[in-house]
This record gives sequence, C-alpha cells and structure tokens, in this order.
Amino acid sequence: MTLRMRFPVGEAVSSVADLLAPNEVEPLAVGDPRMVDFLAAVAKRLLTPALARRHPELGSLGFFLRRRELLGAVERLHSTLGPDTLVFPRGRVFHVPPANVDTIFVYSWALSALAGNTNVVRVSPRSAAAADAVLEVLNASLAEADPVVARTQLMVTYGHDDAVTAQLSATSDLRVLWGGDRAVENLRRHPLAPAARDLTFPDRSSFAMLSVPGWAAASPQRRREAANAFANDAYWFDQAACASPRTVFLVGAAEQADEVRAEFVALLEDVVQERGWDVDAAMAVEKRVGAYGLAADGGVRRMVFHRNALATLELAEVSATPRHWLGAGTFPFVTVPDLTELVPFVRRRDQTLTHFGFDRDELTALARSLGGRGVDRIVPFGAALTFAPVWDGHDLLREFVRLVTVND
Amino acid sequence: MLTDVFTRPQPDKEKQLRDELNALVSHHRQSCPPYARIMDALGVRGEAATVAELPWLPVRLFKTKKLVSVPEDQVIRVLTSSGTTGEVSRIHLDRGAAATQSRMLARTLATVLGSRRLPMLVVDGRGVVGDRRSYSARGAGALGMVNFGRDHHWLLDADDRPDVEALRAFLDRHGREPFLIFGFTFMVWTYLYEVAREHGLDLSQGILVHSGGWKKLVDRAVDNAEFRRRFGADTGLTRIHNFYGMVEQIGTVFLEGPEGGSLYCPDFADVIIRDPVTWQEVPVGTPGVIEVLSTLPTSYPGHVLLTEDLGVVHGIDDGHWPGKRFSVLGRLPRAEARGCSDTYQGGTP
Repeated sequence: MTLRMRFPVGEAVSSVADLLAPNEVEPLAVGDPRMVDFLAAVAKRLLTPALARRHPELGSLGFFLRRRELLGAVERLHSTLGPDTLVFPRGRVFHVPPANVDTIFVYSWALSALAGNTNVVRVSPRSAAAADAVLEVLNASLAEADPVVARTQLMVTYGHDDAVTAQLSATSDLRVLWGGDRAVENLRRHPLAPAARDLTFPDRSSFAMLSVPGWAAASPQRRREAANAFANDAYWFDQAACASPRTVFLVGAAEQADEVRAEFVALLEDVVQERGWDVDAAMAVEKRVGAYGLAADGGVRRMVFHRNALATLELAEVSATPRHWLGAGTFPFVTVPDLTELVPFVRRRDQTLTHFGFDRDELTALARSLGGRGVDRIVPFGAALTFAPVWDGHDLLREFVRLVTVND
Repeated sequence: MLTDVFTRPQPDKEKQLRDELNALVSHHRQSCPPYARIMDALGVRGEAATVAELPWLPVRLFKTKKLVSVPEDQVIRVLTSSGTTGEVSRIHLDRGAAATQSRMLARTLATVLGSRRLPMLVVDGRGVVGDRRSYSARGAGALGMVNFGRDHHWLLDADDRPDVEALRAFLDRHGREPFLIFGFTFMVWTYLYEVAREHGLDLSQGILVHSGGWKKLVDRAVDNAEFRRRFGADTGLTRIHNFYGMVEQIGTVFLEGPEGGSLYCPDFADVIIRDPVTWQEVPVGTPGVIEVLSTLPTSYPGHVLLTEDLGVVHGIDDGHWPGKRFSVLGRLPRAEARGCSDTYQGGTP
C-alpha cells in the first residue's frame, strides 16, 4: 500500500502507522488560536480574485473560513453550554468525503480542525481541479502556520485499499462518511473502536417549491432572478448533489400553475442558453433513459425535451415524484393546491427544499408539520448548495467535540 | 452471391418498413403498458410519415425497465446482456418471436454461408454456453451461431487456451472445403489469427463471421482494413464478414458485404444516423448516433432503438447490396455526473 501525502504535501508513506501523529505536548483546544490563524490565512488565499474567478465554489469556501465566521461558530457552541460543561476535541477524526463534489471535504474537515481534532482526510484519487486548487492553497498557507497544524492535519490519497481504511477506522474516535448509501454501507464493514461512532451523510433527495401566487406577485425582474438562482442550484453539480433541486412543486391553483410553469421553463431555457450550458450526447441519452423510465412507471402526463440541457416532465400527482437522479437538467413539475399536500410525501432521505414566493410563516408552518421526519433545510432559490455548519440535521461543530461536566 | 434478404432499394424499403413499424408501434402500445405510457407522455399521435419520424426508445431502457408485449406465460426465453456497470438488458421472447428471429438470422447469414451447414470452428470455449433459460451475450451469440454449423470444434480448452493440435486436426479433416469460423472480433484476432500465423495454418477455405467491436484492438493498431489484410496475407482467409447486432434486437444483424468495409441492412431492418444535438437524421457521410430499426421484435418493444454507438452512413443504393452502407465508429462515453454519491466503491482495487 502507498499513501500519497496531499497535505502536508510530501513523500508517499507506506504504512498507516507512519501517519498517526504522536500525542502533542500542547494539544489543540476547541477554537485553538493556532488553528483559527491557519484557517483564516487559507480563507484569504481562497478569496483572491484570480482563484475565485477560476473556481467560483472556492469563493464560497473562502467566506465560510473567514476569521469572523470561525470565531462566531465557536462562540455559538459555547453559548449552548451551561457553566458546568467543559468542551474538548473528540480526538482522532477520519473523513471520507465524496469524490465528485470537489470542495465539501474542506468544510467538514475545517470544522473538525476548528474543534481541535487530529484529522485524516481521504482525498479521492478521482478528485477534480477545484480540490487540487484547495490543496495547493492549504500547503501554501502552511509556511506561516504553527507547526502543530502540519503535525495534526493530514490529507492523503490512496486507492481502494481496505487495509488502510480498516486501520484508519480502528484508530479513530469519529468517522465522517459521505458519498451515499452504498459508500456508507461499504465503509461500515470496517469496525470502529467501541467508544467511537460514525457521522454519516447518506443518499439524499432535494426539491424546489414555487408559490403560484408568490410568482404572480413578483416583478418580471424578480422572476428572472429566480430562474437564474434556480439554474445555479440545479446545474452547478449536474443536478446530482444531495442538495440539487430536481422536482419542482408548483403550489397553487392548477390553471395558473400551468402558466407559471410555462413562463418559468421559458426563463430557465433563456438562462441555460445565455450561460452556454450544455450536456454531452452521453448525458442527453442518459436523460432519455431516466425520463422514459419514469414515464414507463406511470404518472408522467407529458415530457418535453427542449434541448439537450433541458428536459421537463409534467407529473400527474405528488406520489409520482422521483427520488432518483434522472440526468443533468431534467425537471419534473407537479402542482399541489397547498403546502400541506407535501407533508405525507416527505421521507427521512429528503434534505433540502428551495423556495420562491412564500413568506416566513408559511415555511415555518411547513417545517412544523413535517416534524423533523424529513427535510433538514428550507432555503431560498440560489442557496441550495451553500454549505452551512448545520448540515443534514447535524450541528457539525457540536458533533466534533466531547463534553465534560463538572459539578461540585 | 445469392440472397433473399438484401434485395430492396432504399425508397421501397423505407415505405415498407414505415408501414410495418407503424403497425408495430400500435401493437406494442396495445400490448405493453409501460411502452404505451412513454408514447403518451411523448405525445406520439397518429402514424409516422417517414421512418425517421418513428418514436425511438433508448436501448439502455431495457436495462432499467421490464418491457414485454406478451403475457408472462407465453415467454419461452429471456435473453440477457450484461453491461459494464452490472446493469443487464432483459429481452423476452415468445414462441413466435424466437422462431422468427432465428429464421431471419439464418436467412441473413445464408447469404454468405450458403444454405448447407458447414463444419464450424468456434473461437471460444465450450463453457461460454451455460444455463439454457438465461444466456450471457457472448453465450447467446455463440449458441445462436452454433446452429449454422456442424461438426463443431471449440478452439479454446477448459483453461481458455487455444488447442493448436486439435485445431490442426479440425483443418486436416475439414480445411479443404468451405468451413465456418465464428467468434468475437477480439478473440478471433488474439486466439485464431496469432495462432494460425505462428503455426502456418491454412484458413483459405474458411468463412469468418465475427462481431464485438474494435475497441480492444485499438491499442494493437488493428482496424477492420488491417484485420482483413493480415488475415488474407498470413492465413489465406479472405471471406470475412463482420456484423453488428445487439441482444435488444436479436435476430437482426447488419452484415459486412464481401467487398469489406461496409455493413448492410437486411430488408427487414435499417439504420438512421442522428445528430447528437438536434437528434435529426444527418446526411450521408456525417457521423452521429446509430438508431436501429427492425420488424422482428414483436414480443417486446425493441423495434426502434437509439443505441449508444456512433456510426456513419457511407452511401445508399451504391454498394454490393442495395440500401444503406454504414460503419460503426465506436461508443458514446458513459455519462458521469458530479454529485454526492458513489464516492467509494470499496472492496476491489
């Protein structure tokens, strides 16, 4: 086995034992200033205009890692604890992020590092350009950093070597698993130490909802902005990220809903055309397989292939809504008279609802009637992919620490 | 060369196919509810005015959906083809469809093999033919072909190695009169060509029928022309017929003419090359995605299929046989999305 050292970048190592750092004389604390300094330096580099232009997703990451954000997160954590409770890092954390969403590993790693943990991140050999750019930034920022950072934070790439995964699992206090149901199941074959546990991010599905009266009340300018924001949410990760909206629920009277859909799809097509977004022939065929397959199952009244990058399906009822991916730029639409219709449909695996045209009370009422059975985030169009410290229903910083209580 | 399935000039053929395929669209709409739901959702109404307007299904749909147009108890055989990701096409045949497909395959191949059964060399191992109700693509191919020969000799032994002595014995017995050779292109090259050249075997009376694509031979710089040239020069084998076909249209093969280089469509089948952006038919000489049409699929809606293969039509009614002449150029790459899932396949390196 060989492990490629991506951070700190260096010689390949041949055994997991060489990776596991000895105990620090001055271990990291929760919100350790040495780590905050390092992450803030990384943020600065990520926010340089040249880099942000090349990889827009790194800009959002840069904002997330600004000193103010980091200190705010630590402060929020402390504010939730009583005076009898002390907070410490959990220990060793092993992260297995998804291959295809280039930057998500940085978010979960950074919060775990902020919590003062010793981290090992498995960076996929299939990772894309943005991931490489992040690793470059991390390595470049190491020069000014306290040496404890390089000793406690490791990012490695290795093939599908079960022995490495097993050893890293057995020596961790917390294992963070991304990448869907199958990835989680595969990784769970490797036992953890008895006191350790998993934080898992399995397959999720996400939807958009558009208020028909809300649309009618919006100016033409607002409608265009909505289509633009929705397009970003959907197309950025080929509509395949956990939070990418797939089906659009039109909420309101059926007749007006048909008009709203027509206008929304036309605006969406404009956006796709303006941006020059396209999919290749293989993806176009994939979409046919997905859409025809859904139609074969029933519940599709009409499907239209506007262009390779945009297909729309009109569903007869909410129960026909798919939870699987149908190919990049494939949008089922279903009309419901009001939000309560969605309540029986929602499942645990449902993650993000992006919304347009609803007021806060309507959204809160929906969340209350869902009662936490599913849907972890309700966010406006355009914010689907914005990572937050509360993700998939978990307050991540809180997951990354251990609590000690002292009572006299 | 006598033939009764490569006879129709393109304009006649298109008219006949259009009518027969329009009838099949109605038949499958009535008999296969999932197919009917797809046609309804696409808004397909009335009859297509040209073959190019007939509604197609993506061939991979047979890997994700069960599509059958006969009652369950009339299915006598289920053919499967495995893909790279473990998805499997399932093709259901009733008695009538099974009989028609083997009869039409026989008539197509009789064009180059003649009507008598010839001694047959199969470039594969006997083990490729397994369970009789469900076959692998390779097994189904081999099994389908075995009927066209007699005194079969399987080239590979139980360890999948070519048995040179047994091959020599086969050629001593049958090699002075016409004999049939069948195999997958890559295996024919690896196991037959190289062995025959090395041992100086005479294959000049052979008629080779092969299929399976050139992808695995690309790194050896062997394309169809080179394949034919070297077989001829080094083993005397010159009667070589590549064919293109798929389990989803079982019984239909597009056969290379005796002059080499072009595949021809039998009277009951055709190809349409489509532009991958507009999905309109492209002119002769322009590459695109291959759509295959055939009147044979009656027990499942496989009569008009968009493949994931790329091809080009070289000419129409200007070759050895009438109709379209075309080549297969390769496959569309598999679509891969970004996204959260499938990070870690685990287990195998």
